Amino acid sequence: MSDSPIIREKAVKAPAVEPDEKATTGPALRKQVTDACKAIDNGPRVLKLYMEMCARCGTCAEQCPVYQGEPTELRNPARRSDLIRSVFKKHMTVSGKVFGPLVGGRDFDGDMQRFVDAFYECTGCRRCATFCPMGIDNSVITRKGRAIVDKLGWTPERLQKVIDISLETGNTDGANQAALKETARFLEEEIADDCGVEVRIPYDVAGAEIFFVPPSGDLLVNPEAVMGIAKVFHKLGISWTLSSRAFDGANYGLFTGDDKSMKEDNKLYIDEARRLKCKTLMMGECGHAHRIMKFMMEKAKWWGDLPFEITNVLQFTAGIIEDGAIRLDKSANPDAVTYHDPCNFGRSCGIVEEPRRIMMASCADFREMTPNRHLNWCCGGGGGLSAMDDIYEFRMNVSGKMKLKQIDETEAKFCAAPCSNCKRQLAQLMEYHKRNVTIGGVHDVVYRALVL
Amino acid sequence: MNHLILGILPYFTVIIFLVGIGYRFYIWIKAPQPGAITLFPAPSGGADSFFAIVKESLLFPGLFKGDRFLWAAAWIFHVTLALIIIGHVRVFTDFPGLWAALGINADSMSAISGGIAGVTITICALLLIVRRLAILRVREISSFSDFMIMLLIMAILATGNAMRFGEHFDLNMTRSYFSALATFSLTSSLMPANQMFTLHFFLAQILIMFIPFSKILHFGGIFFTQTIIKKA
Repeated sequence: MSDSPIIREKAVKAPAVEPDEKATTGPALRKQVTDACKAIDNGPRVLKLYMEMCARCGTCAEQCPVYQGEPTELRNPARRSDLIRSVFKKHMTVSGKVFGPLVGGRDFDGDMQRFVDAFYECTGCRRCATFCPMGIDNSVITRKGRAIVDKLGWTPERLQKVIDISLETGNTDGANQAALKETARFLEEEIADDCGVEVRIPYDVAGAEIFFVPPSGDLLVNPEAVMGIAKVFHKLGISWTLSSRAFDGANYGLFTGDDKSMKEDNKLYIDEARRLKCKTLMMGECGHAHRIMKFMMEKAKWWGDLPFEITNVLQFTAGIIEDGAIRLDKSANPDAVTYHDPCNFGRSCGIVEEPRRIMMASCADFREMTPNRHLNWCCGGGGGLSAMDDIYEFRMNVSGKMKLKQIDETEAKFCAAPCSNCKRQLAQLMEYHKRNVTIGGVHDVVYRALVL
Repeated sequence: MNHLILGILPYFTVIIFLVGIGYRFYIWIKAPQPGAITLFPAPSGGADSFFAIVKESLLFPGLFKGDRFLWAAAWIFHVTLALIIIGHVRVFTDFPGLWAALGINADSMSAISGGIAGVTITICALLLIVRRLAILRVREISSFSDFMIMLLIMAILATGNAMRFGEHFDLNMTRSYFSALATFSLTSSLMPANQMFTLHFFLAQILIMFIPFSKILHFGGIFFTQTIIKKA
């Protein structure tokens, strides 16, 4: 999902689901929401626990980027989760059946738009879970809320469109194979112009060691990261390939709570990795794509045992820097730079030191934000919000507020964020608030610093 | 009334508490959990994960980072509560041999430590109630039951403190009462004739019976939730 103007036009032309499928209203809708909340009784265990465990201490709100941006009652994570929890309590617990509202058990009030808006004001960043003394991860409840929304056909149009386009074309930008091939050639020329060296951006090479899956935004909108990675592979003489059919790890089913489309979207990539007979499926600078591949698909064996390993380009490059296999010239990045930990890389994948090793080896003046790593504040566009232009003001003035403050404090001129959603949100945030900070990827600085 | 609270209710309390807790743990264990939803940093399983879960459950390090005031009030509250529960062993039985071997006067020692604990936990409970009322983000997520539980706890603490600081309370009375209760040989002459004790014991039983059906069950559930997120 990105902002390439040519591609966007194609995307709009792509056949999308009719926007108005909100057929269910009134008592029927009320019953469906109620039944969906009651169904949590059958598991998963984690949701069942979250329905009963909250001690109402308010720590989550204190740590929530949205509530801290501008507090309203439904932005309070515990209160938002109550939209589901109170219905579950009322119908599925002894205390709720007997005492009702006295113990927080309530029926769904029928205000579906309010329900949708509340769960689409949570960025799913999991920061609350890091601090919750009960170990409650509100993002799990948010995803459940969105799954309920999705089942009833209320998923925000913009996100549904991204999913439809992705299932149709294999990428969230709606680009076709010709566009990918053209882009690869264009990027090769760019590198040749910049560095005076022929660096290949190969695609569809069966038998290549590494099958590389970036987010499509890193090819079409912010290509410097992919150019940097291509230079690294070139320097090391490693055989690698893109796929002209599968070049976007982004998967919005994670955001809308739609497991079925998440798996369907994912399958293309596994099929392609098998077809290309790669040894390694290497995910690019995209946190949620890596999380789905490594911690959801591989762990739960969606497609059985895999004949290749799954790794991330941040781990790869950090590793070869440690081995001393490449030489980086810090003077190519003289300005103050900082690093934004995308929530999915930090809290959900545990990849926090690798990007720092890369940044510090490539830049003369690296500065940390405070707090950082797994305590980092969300960019304000997580959970798919970054793609939603109808909540632009909210993203700029509420959910992105803590992040803006953090970036300001570093006084950096460049902020790296290995995530297309973070990049879009942060770039808009800098523009909206008239800050002179460039947003890019981690391998952007490698592109500039790597000595061929 | 005395007969009801001291002679019959305790059996129901024990049964409701044990069956209720057992049932809740059973349905939690039974509910399917497809994979962990790891929240990093997390140890890669085994002993490290176990210690991370124990540490989180005993010291609340996450809360320590997130809300220092709440951490202080809540942690001291819980630790003092644990000490008070341990101290209540002397209500049921005594270990004169142990005290003699250690060379301490158990009565005066428990008078001092119990007194300090009683005052400490009352202050913490008060702070938690005030916090719930005073801070908007906590007040807006508080239901009637959240206040009722705290008021119930306050009432139990108040009656307990009244016995501790009031006129001398003879523990031999409760010891023979509870041993008769446990052996199903209770007679009305063995029931402590102390209104403050009866009230304290009654309120405590209400709380204990309510535990399996309320958020107080977090003392068991925390191990389940932490296991799901603290394993890579």
